[in-house]
Amino acid sequence: MQSRMKRILTGLAALVIAAIIWLPCLHLLFARPLSAFRQDPGLSPKASQLAARQLQLWTEPALREQELKKMRASNAEWDFMGRSYLVWSLANMALRDPPSKQLYLQTMDQIIDETLRLEKQEGMYFFLMPYAKERHYLVQPAHSLFLDGEIALMLASRRMIEEKPEYKPLLTERINAIVGRLQKSPRMMLESYPDECWMFDHCVALDAIKLADYLDDSDHSALIRGWMAMAKQKLVDPKSGLLISSFTTDGTPLAGPEGSSIWMVAHCLQLLDEDFARDQYQRARKELGEITLGFGYAHEWPKSWKGEANIDSGPIIPGFEISAGSSGMAFIGASTFSDGKFLRSLATTLDFAGFPSRTGGRLKYCASNQVGDAALLYAATLGPLWQKLKAGTKP
Amino acid sequence: MITKFWQGLGPFRRAEFLSPRDLLQRAGAISVLFLAVHLAGLREFTSVLNGTIGSVAAGWKLSGFLALIYILLYLAFVILVPVLVLAATLLVVWQRFRRKKEKSSP
Repeated sequence: MQSRMKRILTGLAALVIAAIIWLPCLHLLFARPLSAFRQDPGLSPKASQLAARQLQLWTEPALREQELKKMRASNAEWDFMGRSYLVWSLANMALRDPPSKQLYLQTMDQIIDETLRLEKQEGMYFFLMPYAKERHYLVQPAHSLFLDGEIALMLASRRMIEEKPEYKPLLTERINAIVGRLQKSPRMMLESYPDECWMFDHCVALDAIKLADYLDDSDHSALIRGWMAMAKQKLVDPKSGLLISSFTTDGTPLAGPEGSSIWMVAHCLQLLDEDFARDQYQRARKELGEITLGFGYAHEWPKSWKGEANIDSGPIIPGFEISAGSSGMAFIGASTFSDGKFLRSLATTLDFAGFPSRTGGRLKYCASNQVGDAALLYAATLGPLWQKLKAGTKP
Repeated sequence: MITKFWQGLGPFRRAEFLSPRDLLQRAGAISVLFLAVHLAGLREFTSVLNGTIGSVAAGWKLSGFLALIYILLYLAFVILVPVLVLAATLLVVWQRFRRKKEKSSP
């Protein structure tokens, strides 16, 4: 009996010692050099593999249909955002990989044309969540800045790579509509859903305006400055100093600072107000970003804000409070601000818990979906488009 | 012939609880189970982690259940299996060390 007890205790002690040795080493199984995820210049191996899978979805309609059906069962927005992130990625890839530029442009045009056709044919609600129909938009005729901003940025990104005359009036029309509504709005806050405005959508739309100014020699710098001043004054959470993610048309906060929004917001702000963008990234990194035992991840809310898991945050893993949505978008923030340590640790987590699946040189993450993979591709390729605008090189 | 067959099955016979062989048997069982669910394609269902259904045909409940099985076995494979193997190695080293000490003591 004593010998049995002794054996069990020795066994348990061995298990504890083994766990103490193994757990800090676990990340080494999944850690890769940063260049595996992001390379400057050129395309990293992961970017190429993710892109190959995304391009395959646009050459095989049956496969695309299957992927979209799964995403639309949860959220029709993902169908739309998957298109936006892929177009923005392809624009950056065209600058990183000039020999493949024509293939990328062809796919960008295919995506843009199909998106515009669906918007025209099915109406704007096709890409919105069902609750958009539950109330009336305060400003009539109804427009969603979510759609207008992202479509405008898709059109502008495409034209930044190579002019396409057919897209010029489409972009001008979309930009004029956004600018007109911003000028008419007493607080410069536009709806994405009925009386629901999103920081993410405003920042994307302002980037599109900035790109359109560059492309078509217009000047909306005063409007952008005015909007930034308003946001800093009215839309910052006083405790964390982070921009809140959603608000009503009179500026009442709906949701506080959210990881699924702020990382992309900081990225977009880089074109609008570089110092403020860096400030927001650094605050988000401090409040939301974590590295534990070599694995990087992000929370959805700062400690000072209590929130419930939602469609944007994805399921929250209790204990560590890991948000899939925030962790995925953190790649974009870390990549934008060249935070190599955080980016590498996020990539380690992705290979550990994202369940990569490779076939024929194509990569997808099973724990992700098409929009998630497209956002990762964007994080792995972003940079050249913004740099081109800043450098002032015309297409 | 029969004796040889039983000797061949030695590694699979039930070992004493928390003995090195017991730990290795558990590590082996987890690895086999994980390999089975992996080859069965259950990895595809892990998309439920971001709120996307694994398969529209299978529905949410079944997709979630299959994802849970895959994730638990995967975590057991990458976290528990190395710990079990390492612990078995530590026990073997410890036992050899003790035996050596006992032999050398007067």
